[in-house]
Amino acid sequence: MARVVLDRVTKKFGEVAAVNDVSLTVFDREFLVLVGPSGCGKSTILRLVAGLEDVSSGEIRVGDGLVNDVAPKDRDIAMVFQNYALYPHMSVFDNLAFSLKLRRVPKQQIRQRVQQTAATLGLEGLLERKPKQLSGGQRQRVALGRAIVREPQVFLMDEPLSNLDAQLRVQTRAELIKLHRRLEATVIYVTHDQVEAMTMGSRIAVMRDGVLQQMDTPTGLYDRPANMFVAGFIGSPSMNFLSGRLERHNGSLQVTAGDLVLDLPPERAAGADSANTQEVVVGVRPEDVQPAASLVPNGHRPINASVDVVEHMGNEKFVYLSLANASLVARIDVSCPASAGENLPVVVDAGKIHLFHPATEEAIF
Amino acid sequence: MQLELPATSLPSAGLQSLRFRVTAGRFAYGLLLILPSLVFLLPFTVWPAIKVVVSSLFLADIAHPQPSFIGLGNFAAEFGNEVFWQVMRNTVLFAGFTVPLSIGLALLLAVEVNKKLRLVGVFRTALFYPTILPTVGAAAIWLFVYAPGLGLADRFLGLFGSYDHNWLGDPALVLPALMVMMIWKQTGYFMVFYLAGLQGLPQEVFEAAALDGARGWRMLRSLTIPLLSGTTVFVSTIALIDSFQTVDQLFILTQGGPNNASNLLLFWLYQEGFRNFNFGRASAVTVIMMALLLAVSLVNYRQLDRAAHYES
Amino acid sequence: MIAGRRLDTLRSNLLLTVVCLVWVVPLVWALGTSVRAPGEPVGTGFLWLPGRPSLANFAEAWSAAPFVTYYLNTIVICGGILAVQLFTITLAGYAFARVPFPGRELLFSLFILQLMLPLTVLAVPNFLTMRDLHLINTKLAIMLPYMASGFGVFLMRQAFRSVPLELEEAGRLDGCQWWQVLWHVYLPLTRPALVAFGLVSVTFHWNDFLWPLLVTNTPNARPLTVGLASFALAGENGAQFPLIMAGTLLVMAPLLLGFFLFQRQFVSSFIRSGIR
Repeated sequence: MARVVLDRVTKKFGEVAAVNDVSLTVFDREFLVLVGPSGCGKSTILRLVAGLEDVSSGEIRVGDGLVNDVAPKDRDIAMVFQNYALYPHMSVFDNLAFSLKLRRVPKQQIRQRVQQTAATLGLEGLLERKPKQLSGGQRQRVALGRAIVREPQVFLMDEPLSNLDAQLRVQTRAELIKLHRRLEATVIYVTHDQVEAMTMGSRIAVMRDGVLQQMDTPTGLYDRPANMFVAGFIGSPSMNFLSGRLERHNGSLQVTAGDLVLDLPPERAAGADSANTQEVVVGVRPEDVQPAASLVPNGHRPINASVDVVEHMGNEKFVYLSLANASLVARIDVSCPASAGENLPVVVDAGKIHLFHPATEEAIF
Repeated sequence: MQLELPATSLPSAGLQSLRFRVTAGRFAYGLLLILPSLVFLLPFTVWPAIKVVVSSLFLADIAHPQPSFIGLGNFAAEFGNEVFWQVMRNTVLFAGFTVPLSIGLALLLAVEVNKKLRLVGVFRTALFYPTILPTVGAAAIWLFVYAPGLGLADRFLGLFGSYDHNWLGDPALVLPALMVMMIWKQTGYFMVFYLAGLQGLPQEVFEAAALDGARGWRMLRSLTIPLLSGTTVFVSTIALIDSFQTVDQLFILTQGGPNNASNLLLFWLYQEGFRNFNFGRASAVTVIMMALLLAVSLVNYRQLDRAAHYES
Repeated sequence: MIAGRRLDTLRSNLLLTVVCLVWVVPLVWALGTSVRAPGEPVGTGFLWLPGRPSLANFAEAWSAAPFVTYYLNTIVICGGILAVQLFTITLAGYAFARVPFPGRELLFSLFILQLMLPLTVLAVPNFLTMRDLHLINTKLAIMLPYMASGFGVFLMRQAFRSVPLELEEAGRLDGCQWWQVLWHVYLPLTRPALVAFGLVSVTFHWNDFLWPLLVTNTPNARPLTVGLASFALAGENGAQFPLIMAGTLLVMAPLLLGFFLFQRQFVSSFIRSGIR
């Protein structure tokens, strides 16, 4: 039973609130990813849960107990640091065994648990080495091992992959997910990389300026972003934003953004009506912009666009388009012909657009 | 969102006390760690520094076992005493010669032992070893060096003719004789700071200058000395502070004599306190000494950041 | 160019040889004099070196003054001071480096004050304190004022600051009490600073003279330096120089030996001692 609950937690450094009134629940055995740009307060939340910082207000519960006043060592929490924080003067074995020694685990058992952990992570041959003699990837695994060997209730991971090169990072990402499944432990994972968040998290909490923006599953976040920040932060390339107007036309609701005129499907029109505004921001995912030729124009009016740049990704390509007074990124199949300087009529799937309130940036739908 | 919570609600009051508890806990924790040091620091550094200022305002000598307030009387007595001025003059002369001479020599030698020479290790050792000798022991050796007729100094000069100087007994020679020993004792210490400074300088600058044709003295004057100016300020303050505190060798070599010709401030302080048993006047001299050291140290304290640069 | 460099090297070697000879000669001469056979006049023979080396002067010096007591006193004083210092500077250095608490800067300035005002300057008021505490003529009186060290606290503060904060945090999460963080994480990583401090401290207190002189008046509590001073002053005539030199070398021998064995360590430690 290792739920982690933050109840209206605020952390101030001087007058600045690094974490502002955040409430969230991490379920037992969940892999929760905290994501956001640097300085958004995600690492501070991790440190508050670990007990390395004291909350300014609010409550933190781990399992069933309130831990506000519990020392880090008594919270039964392990943390993997961004720079690994391996003890440079201790061998790999001693790094792994240190926490067990402090807890007065019998020697025989220490040896056994360390060896078991080393086997899990492929560190068997390295136990006598000092951290200085290890590669970056090996150090990262030792840091993980140091957390695993304790069998804690909760794992905290602070950008543990950010010091690895790109290839190793992708590989380790998959290994971490497998490891989580096997350990059946609660994990709170901090990253600034939305790809990491989307691929690893069972749920994702998006932070900005100390405030929790939205917490949902990866698909939930992608399909139903709560505001423009989340919509823009999740997904690559980012969502296109166009300023537009809502207008009633022939009994149906239309959204107009420059050349782009879209009839809203009736089931979405109701939501737009209730927003009580005419000015809106239209959000379009790049994959929802497609060449007119490839789609049956079912109520979709093609618009003229000229191609600025084409980025080939192998299986698909990103096309940067100029409209009359706006620009769009489209994510299209690699077989569709598009090259820089040419005209490319495109259509936008009206059923998949997002509308945001221009002042509050909150999603209308 | 914040407005949901009434201003008078209990949680916020509880929060206040929690924060107070955390701050108080921190303070207690920090103080606990410093306490063992404070147990010694307060009674033997802080308190005496304050006490001596007070006692400098009291008359306290053999005739007056019960101290009585005399204002600045002790200072007036010192300032009216010819010996005090002689001591000040000696102290200033002593610092005025030993500091620049030993620093200049240290810089010169540092440049030399920074070169790739086969015996460089031996040279460095030979120059540095006096640093670790007890001043009293070094003075005992120099007592012998300066022994009239018999000592090394006279014997060496004897090679060029006949000499018989009373190095430590002649008022004209005694202070220079002490200076020579001081320079011998300290130059190696200052040299290693310059050596560390030199090794921290970018080598390319010197290579570029060498390509431009700069050599020897020119390189030293227009490149090395300006680049090491930080080290020079740092070493100068150390040298100045050390020179003001010169005292140990006087006990062995001269007792301040002859006729106070080699008497320095700290030895005079000792004489006022422990030979004349005039603790009031000794306190006044202490206060003067403190003012002198604090003035030098305050300049140095600004340079402390530079000190970090020698740490690696 | 090559010839110029060779000439340059030759000149450097020549200059350094001359200066180093001047620097070494007093010690060599003291050594030479100390091993003269008793009765052989000082300053005779080739290069004024003794004809028949003998250790008789050392034996005589050793018995002429209570050097055994002096030695023991110095060892107890140096060891006692160092032991307490290591304790006080570790704790205080850690507090100043890593525990933010109100009043920290003010307290730190007190330690800086000690760097600025060494004990020799505050000898008069401290002497009166020791007299009032009835500690005159005890080793404790010599040791007490040194047991807190501004230099040591400054040094350890710097050293602790160079340890990544994450290591302390990892330690705390791994289950360390605050003192276990110090013992298992900080101290092993700052051993070079501790060793440097130890060397400087022992050298300083082995050589310290004025303060021990002031608070002692019998050989019972006196360290080597004070003993040597009275020994040297007792026989200030030519005939006794070999004896005095033997005594002087007896006092200096441990440090000199240590220095010649661990030069690098000594030099790097003394560079750290520049803070004051």
